[in-house]
Amino acid sequence: MGSRVAESDDHFVVDIERFQGPLDLLLHLIRSQDIDIFDIPIAEITAQFIAAIEGVERRLTLEHAGEFLEMAATLVRIKAQMLLPRREGLLEAEDPRSELVRRLLEYELFREVAYVLGDAEAERALHRGKGYVEPRPPADLMELPLELAIDEFLEVALALPAPPAKRPARAPVRPITVDEKIELWFKALKQKARVPFGSFIRRWKTRVHAVMSFLACLELAKRGLVRLRQERPFGTLWIYRGEGDEDR
Amino acid sequence: MKATRIVEAVLFASETPLAPAEIARASSDLTPAQVEEAIGELCREYEREERAFQIYPLGDGYQILTRPEYATYLERFDSITRTQRLSRAAVETLAIVAYRQPVSRLEIEELRGVNVAGVLRNLQERGLIEVVERAEGLGRPLLYGTTRRFLDHFGLRSLEDLPRPEDLQITLRAER
Repeated sequence: MGSRVAESDDHFVVDIERFQGPLDLLLHLIRSQDIDIFDIPIAEITAQFIAAIEGVERRLTLEHAGEFLEMAATLVRIKAQMLLPRREGLLEAEDPRSELVRRLLEYELFREVAYVLGDAEAERALHRGKGYVEPRPPADLMELPLELAIDEFLEVALALPAPPAKRPARAPVRPITVDEKIELWFKALKQKARVPFGSFIRRWKTRVHAVMSFLACLELAKRGLVRLRQERPFGTLWIYRGEGDEDR
Repeated sequence: MKATRIVEAVLFASETPLAPAEIARASSDLTPAQVEEAIGELCREYEREERAFQIYPLGDGYQILTRPEYATYLERFDSITRTQRLSRAAVETLAIVAYRQPVSRLEIEELRGVNVAGVLRNLQERGLIEVVERAEGLGRPLLYGTTRRFLDHFGLRSLEDLPRPEDLQITLRAER
């Protein structure tokens, strides 16, 4: 993840995405080490800050990375100013850190307020006004999952128009298997994302094909390779291509 | 008709907080002061009867809301009106707007050290802040302030309810 151990004497695990910007990170470094904010060891903090934001440009958007880098630059500048010898008689000159300290304290104040407001928000969310519980919309049949027992399903499949009374001449009956129908389903679903059950079985005239085709699609649905959908009882039964079977 | 019951009927039928003056419109015999009095009476009644709701002050108005102990039961009704919690960035930005209003985007960015354009737009869309005026000077930047809905969202009566800086727990506040 985005955790980093700052390369310093203390081992800080800093997850930069957790922070609300450079001031937040800097305050974290200062407050978690019991550092006196009015006497920040700037060299140490700068090193920790830079270590914490290492690789920031890869993990944050350019703009957010820029915010952290700008602060790093400010810290380095203050560090340099601290190293300059102070001339005698200029003891009252402003500490180069003071502007940063002012910003940190001001930011910290609002960060605290934000925590208090966050608690207030949570407390307020426990109270619900009129209209919270909405009237239930009528269920959309299209969106209902198809949950039918196998005998109910068979009943529908068998209720399909009976084949014409004219019987073809008897020929040796070739066994019709579910596996064979499964292959045909795959073939049909390769061309179209969904196939209506009725049109799929139309090419055969005997019920056994319809039943086997039906069992085949139940088997496929069970294996999660197709999805079945029927808008209303006795309506068109649609067989949808399942996800992730492209290789078939 | 008893004033208390009229006030109760109006509050019961409302989905948003109503100010006493707004409630008083229900009857020509009703004054805002009487409305306040009736609300006090209703509050005591609901308390006594251990109702699941109470009348809460929100912003400059009042609204009947369920009591917090029933929140877990209501959460089961996964309603779309459920108020979404704000992000930390949003709450920090709101805190600054609340204390410093009217405030420009630039001032907020200086305080937080980050860009807040997106957060401001989001807060404005949610009706928690609004543009209150334009500043004088270069570019006449927009100045933002908090709305009535802001108070409602945090259960505050007014901006006076915001924590005072001296009440906050700021660690290691060194003397200077």
